[in-house]
Amino acid sequence: MNRKTPWLIGAVIAVALTLTGCGSGSGPESGAQGAPAGTAASGSHDPEATIEIGSLYEPQNLDNTAGGGQGVTEAFNGNVYEGLFRLTDEGKVENLLAESQEVSPDGLTYTFKLRQGVTFHSGAPLTSADVKYSIEKVTADDSQSARKSSFDVIKSIETPDDATVVVKLSDKSISFVYNLSYVWIINHAAKDLATSEDGTGPYKLGAWKRGSTLSLDRFDGYWGTKPANKGVVFHYFTEATALNNALLTNAVDIVTSEQSPDALAQFQGNDDYKITNGKSTTKLLLAFNDRVKPFNDRLVRKAVSSAIDDKKLLDSIWAGYGTLIGSMVPPSDPWYEDLTSVNPYDVNLAKQQLAQAGYPDGFSFTLDTPSYDPHPTAATFIKSELAKVGINVTINVITADEWYTKVYKNRDFTATLQEHVNDRDVVWYGNPDFYWGYDNPDVAKWVKDAERSDTVEQQTELLKKVNRQIADDAASDWLYLYPQIVVAASNLSGYPVNGLNSQFYAYGIKKS
Amino acid sequence: MRRLTLVSGCVLAGAVVAIAVVSFLWLPYPPEDTSGGRLAPPGLPHLLGTDKLGRDLFTQLMIGARIALGVGLGSVALGGLLGVAAGLVAGFATRWLDDTVAVVLDILIAFPTLLLAMLLVAVRDASLGSAILAIGLAMSAVVARLTRVLVKRVLAQDYITAARTSGTSWRRIVTEHVLPNIWPTLVVNLALQLGLAVLAEASLSYLGLGPPPPNASWGRMLQEAQATVLVAPVGAIAPGVLVVALVVGVNLIADGLRDVADPTRRRTR
Repeated sequence: MNRKTPWLIGAVIAVALTLTGCGSGSGPESGAQGAPAGTAASGSHDPEATIEIGSLYEPQNLDNTAGGGQGVTEAFNGNVYEGLFRLTDEGKVENLLAESQEVSPDGLTYTFKLRQGVTFHSGAPLTSADVKYSIEKVTADDSQSARKSSFDVIKSIETPDDATVVVKLSDKSISFVYNLSYVWIINHAAKDLATSEDGTGPYKLGAWKRGSTLSLDRFDGYWGTKPANKGVVFHYFTEATALNNALLTNAVDIVTSEQSPDALAQFQGNDDYKITNGKSTTKLLLAFNDRVKPFNDRLVRKAVSSAIDDKKLLDSIWAGYGTLIGSMVPPSDPWYEDLTSVNPYDVNLAKQQLAQAGYPDGFSFTLDTPSYDPHPTAATFIKSELAKVGINVTINVITADEWYTKVYKNRDFTATLQEHVNDRDVVWYGNPDFYWGYDNPDVAKWVKDAERSDTVEQQTELLKKVNRQIADDAASDWLYLYPQIVVAASNLSGYPVNGLNSQFYAYGIKKS
Repeated sequence: MRRLTLVSGCVLAGAVVAIAVVSFLWLPYPPEDTSGGRLAPPGLPHLLGTDKLGRDLFTQLMIGARIALGVGLGSVALGGLLGVAAGLVAGFATRWLDDTVAVVLDILIAFPTLLLAMLLVAVRDASLGSAILAIGLAMSAVVARLTRVLVKRVLAQDYITAARTSGTSWRRIVTEHVLPNIWPTLVVNLALQLGLAVLAEASLSYLGLGPPPPNASWGRMLQEAQATVLVAPVGAIAPGVLVVALVVGVNLIADGLRDVADPTRRRTR
């Protein structure tokens, strides 16, 4: 049995390379064509199969501008809702609901032509008014979208006719099209978006049984290629072992992201399962509240960063999987640089910095720790590491809801642990109003200038500067980058293997 | 046979108590020492191996014994005190008040301990105190119902009627006649409750509602070892064995005590 493992992994890598190579394919089918082991299986796949997906991330609600969390992105992005553009599993931006776009020479006017014949699940046709409504929903005052500030540059949205949207910007924005891939196009007449939906995607919402399952049914009026399956059901688990057991007992067909390396032992060397090790953009952060004492002092933050042995933490939790990052930028972002040496693990350096900052005997603080894995384990480790430099940590375990209210909204915290799932999210350090409160005018300016760039090279150069500066200031402590491990039953193919932004396109999944 | 029950109970529970006492004086490794390496196998220098973070499992178990016994004894003290007091009041009360108390107690007993604990944790924070309070409160209902019945039985005796007609005060009746007659049964019951309290603490910690990390509680050790049970089974087995040893030990002691305390049982066996 064991002898087959290298072959399987080899096949998966080969296919992953193929996927990257043909990533420019068009239509929703593109992800499925070069699917792992799909060459044999896809010919005989069952188009009426329902795919059972196991996940640890149940949505808080179904509205991604009202704090739906990563769960709703996973279930809905690209499946139920579509944007003008799509970010593929390989990280490329391609046209989706926008058929074409034109940019004026000064870079301030974007004209989008909408795809014709697109209808919402309610039957209403897609018009430019829906696009305007959807963008304004993200930029509204009460919007809780983490991407809200990216759209501050929008001056006006005009809809000269039903198929045309003209967006005027107050300033150049090189990532405007990329940012639009995050904006779900929602029917402007839709109501109760926290519990229902009206999108244009290949699936419509079936039933959401809170705390248990969320089902998506194939939408027969879909404008594009029909999904390769009849529907998908997301099964939500709060505990990784229960999730893995569900996969072992065939209660689910696939686990969207494995959170424990030790559980992989039961799938390795077993022909019934396939394991893929893809790219992730999920970072585990020890986020300081940079506004309040003692973490308003850069030296204290640097000292804490240097006092924690990230390598040991990563090995403890992931047993060799995962990557160390010295900053917010994951290797899949264009402006990645290896900055792990900026705040090296060095207990003596940490002690010196603490003494310089006026805390020769350390201090005490409370670490708000989300109750789910891996946060409590990481908190325990951090407490033990910081004890060595005299810092006393009190671990306060809170639920995801509490985290959102207490930390993200009310900023009532000193330090917290949190996973940040998005790619290209280093720009949040340019926003002094973000929950961690990092306020460096230079960084804010560079982030702004990077947006104004004429070329990607210019943008990349500036964001590299941002990256180096936040690392130098230890704006947060970036503990490590998660691996993206997907385990699936071997009769499944065409599923996404990379965890970019925690999205999970389900329409290409084939079951044989 | 009777002796054997009591002795083996004392050995099992005594071993856990000894571990807890020793943990205050000596530990193999400092509790926060993570130098052991990830999931080291049992052997030397780590007798039972290490957990994911490289902490010595035996050290964690020893500290867990403190918490198990602390919560167990703490909640028995709280539950015993509240329960006996409420039971005495109900036993002496007028019929109307007595009936009310009986109904309230029945409702409380039907209320699951874990649910009560979750409510308490939602109001307070998850901590050692919350765990003791929740388990103690749930236990007090059981103890109160037992006390009430025992008190009533004693009060129906002729010597109580005699004492009352001779003008003995209520306080003296309680201290000289009632309590001495009911305490053997109560002690046996409290010993049984101690075992249940230890189990309840382990369940609470397993659910993340017990004392917060890094306090090493057996319940949370089990929970943490769950993900690694295939590669490092000792991490799950060891705390499990200790929970069983303590609970079985305490129950055997309760059994043994009952035989000693109850003369009728002594004769019939």
